[in-house]
Amino acid sequence: MQTEKIIEIKNLSKQFREVKAVDDLNLTVYRGDVFGFLGPNGAGKSTTIRMLLSLIKPTNGEIRLFDKSLSKDRISILKNIGAIVEKPDFYTYLSAFKNLEILGRLSKTDVSRKRIMEVLEFVGLEKRYKSKVKTFSHGMKQRLGLAQALLHDPELIILDEPTTGLDPQGMKEIRELILHLSKDKNKTILLSSHILSEVEIVASRMIILNKGKKIVEGTVSELLNRDELRVTVEVENNEIAEEKIRESKWMEKLKTTANNKFTFALVQNEISELNKFLVQNGVKVNALIPTRSLEDYFLNIMEKED
Amino acid sequence: MSCMKKLVFILVVFSICVTAQNKEPEKILYNVLNNFSQINDYKVDVEIKIDVSFLKVPNTKAIIYFKQPDKAHIESRGFALLPKGALDISPTSLLKGKYTAFFDRVEDYEGVKAAVIKTIPLGESEDVILSTFWIDREKSRIMKVEVSTKLNGTFNIELKYSNKIKYSQLPSSMVFSFDVSKLNISKRFTGGEDQDKEGKNNTGPILGKVFVNYSNYVVNKGIPDSVFTKPKEKIERKRH
Amino acid sequence: MLTLVQIELYKIFKKWRSYIGFIAITGLVVIIQVAISIEGSRTLNFATRNLQQSFVFVGNFLNGYLVSQIILNALFLHIPFFIALVAGDLMAGEATGGTYRMIITRPVSRFSIVTAKYLAGIIYTTLLILWLAIMSLGLGMFLFGKGELLSLQSNALVIFARDDIFWRFLCAYGFAIVSMSVVSSLAFLFSSLVENSIGPIITTMAIIIAFFIISAIDVSIFQTIKPYLFTNYIGGWKAFFNKPPDYSSVLKSLMVLGIHLVVLYGLALYLFRRKDILT
Repeated sequence: MQTEKIIEIKNLSKQFREVKAVDDLNLTVYRGDVFGFLGPNGAGKSTTIRMLLSLIKPTNGEIRLFDKSLSKDRISILKNIGAIVEKPDFYTYLSAFKNLEILGRLSKTDVSRKRIMEVLEFVGLEKRYKSKVKTFSHGMKQRLGLAQALLHDPELIILDEPTTGLDPQGMKEIRELILHLSKDKNKTILLSSHILSEVEIVASRMIILNKGKKIVEGTVSELLNRDELRVTVEVENNEIAEEKIRESKWMEKLKTTANNKFTFALVQNEISELNKFLVQNGVKVNALIPTRSLEDYFLNIMEKED
Repeated sequence: MSCMKKLVFILVVFSICVTAQNKEPEKILYNVLNNFSQINDYKVDVEIKIDVSFLKVPNTKAIIYFKQPDKAHIESRGFALLPKGALDISPTSLLKGKYTAFFDRVEDYEGVKAAVIKTIPLGESEDVILSTFWIDREKSRIMKVEVSTKLNGTFNIELKYSNKIKYSQLPSSMVFSFDVSKLNISKRFTGGEDQDKEGKNNTGPILGKVFVNYSNYVVNKGIPDSVFTKPKEKIERKRH
Repeated sequence: MLTLVQIELYKIFKKWRSYIGFIAITGLVVIIQVAISIEGSRTLNFATRNLQQSFVFVGNFLNGYLVSQIILNALFLHIPFFIALVAGDLMAGEATGGTYRMIITRPVSRFSIVTAKYLAGIIYTTLLILWLAIMSLGLGMFLFGKGELLSLQSNALVIFARDDIFWRFLCAYGFAIVSMSVVSSLAFLFSSLVENSIGPIITTMAIIIAFFIISAIDVSIFQTIKPYLFTNYIGGWKAFFNKPPDYSSVLKSLMVLGIHLVVLYGLALYLFRRKDILT
């Protein structure tokens, strides 16, 4: 049961001259959550994350972390937060080890050489600890970014696009790491990503922003059950199927056709009805595939917003 | 006595007096030179203090070497600054060349009845126009001299002597006074021919003084000529 | 705070640009000393020819002190550039490198970050001036020896005895540290406002040059402004080479420069604390 609030945002707004980047946002993240933070470009995700990390000052509203006000207890709050904000940048003229050492000292924790090597090993960079960061690939910098976020063993980890630039193997590793941190270490994670499939796998709760406002909030399963499904019907005789569908009410529900596949947007109880209609009209149905993805859900939401 | 005899007597006495006067300045000066000729050479420690408006220099110590007739040289472990006319103040130097001497008067000067003698150099090329000497006839030494020059104005040299110095013709101290407004260097600091702030021309003399104390004379011990050929007047790079 | 300052100094001296000033000063000082070694006697003789007409003097005037004074006078524009090169990068360099995000999300206050960087800039300035002192005075005395210092001033020719000089140079270099710290502060302020260090460096130098020009032009309105320009006080170290030293002038200069230091630092701190980090 969710009890301890790690992040609590109330009526948060940020105005940049004419642009309202965040508009009256409210959200709560509980301990142990992997909280998905979604939205198109310019939705206000990065702005919100920057406000959480005190990089930007809110125009209105309140932010509380670990039940403390960010504006009053910033230092003690940040001791328990590790974050990657957009592309992780380091002192390229220093080695990976030195960068972490400096950041560790800034965190005012007793970050020992052993601990630094531990996190480097955790992210797979232990052999490159002496190398200057300017020699690192983008993926390596992402790993190092993760390392600096974990260095002081924070309770809250904020990850803004953590898999950007990683190969599928790297993405998988990050995904597994997030699950490990959440389930085994009881860390609370705020994850902002464009790769919706990744969020769908790891996130327990999520929020979708658009134009600075919250559109929906809830658990992934709640949100995906709430709305229409994408159902793809694979038929053998597509000319007959096309003719019958065109003449029927199902034409409104048809979204895409491709060769012998027809994709409909249906609610749960319409699936069997469609199947019955096709069969009764002489359409040979080979497969009926409901797809219930976050990406579909997300795109659906964005369409409605537009 | 008849008028004629009185007149002759007066003429004779006058002639004797004039004749006596005509010979006396040269003799006095000769005595001074002769007295000084006993000094072949000397080396002396000097302390120099400069009192000139546009020169801010610390008091300095140096060594002056002199060798007859007119060799003079200054050395210092630190630095030393001295007007050129104050380096060699020997009678030999002050009375060099051909001149006409006139006995001017007797004057009480520093407790001595000093003979005041004027000399005019012969020859148009000389810078010196007129020199006036205050001579202690008893000790045959110069007490003061005032020299007027064409280019550098007038300067005074006042000499004091001490019983502590074995050689009575060598001074224990000197005050060298001169008109700094005539110096080329002073024009930069005093305005020279420029007007001052009130728009008046600075044409009056500005007096500068140099005080020199002499001590520890080493006299007639022999000084090689090579001492006087060292480049004393050039600014040389030395490591101390 | 000490930890933060150590970190900042470490970062400063890990960048190649921080060594430009030290290398340039070494090169310039050596070049000047070689030139003086070759031509110095002739130049000094020429400069003192009027004095030599009327005076006889001896002394080691071509010495380390004279060379140091020549160098101090000659490098009044070069030193500010070397300082601006580093101070202008203190804040802007973090923006360029994107590392603001890394450090500000650490549990340190913005006050600590700004103050540590500011102090690191001042320390760098101090080290640069000390290096100048070592190279010009130290190497100068090694090559040219000690001696008296001849100083041609506006209303006098001053000669300082050799035991009356070294402390003046110490005071002059101490003063130079303060005046150059103002340059560092100015570059630092500009650095906190932008995201690229080129701007602060050029702007700082432009301001210094403009102020020098304004001070030099004999127009009444400029002369009214002149007392308020910090460049008017940068040369205040020369007051130590008056006889006696003009302490009131030095104190006034130090006060004005001190006010600049406080104001520039305060402004940088105030603006940075309010700044949204968008890089």
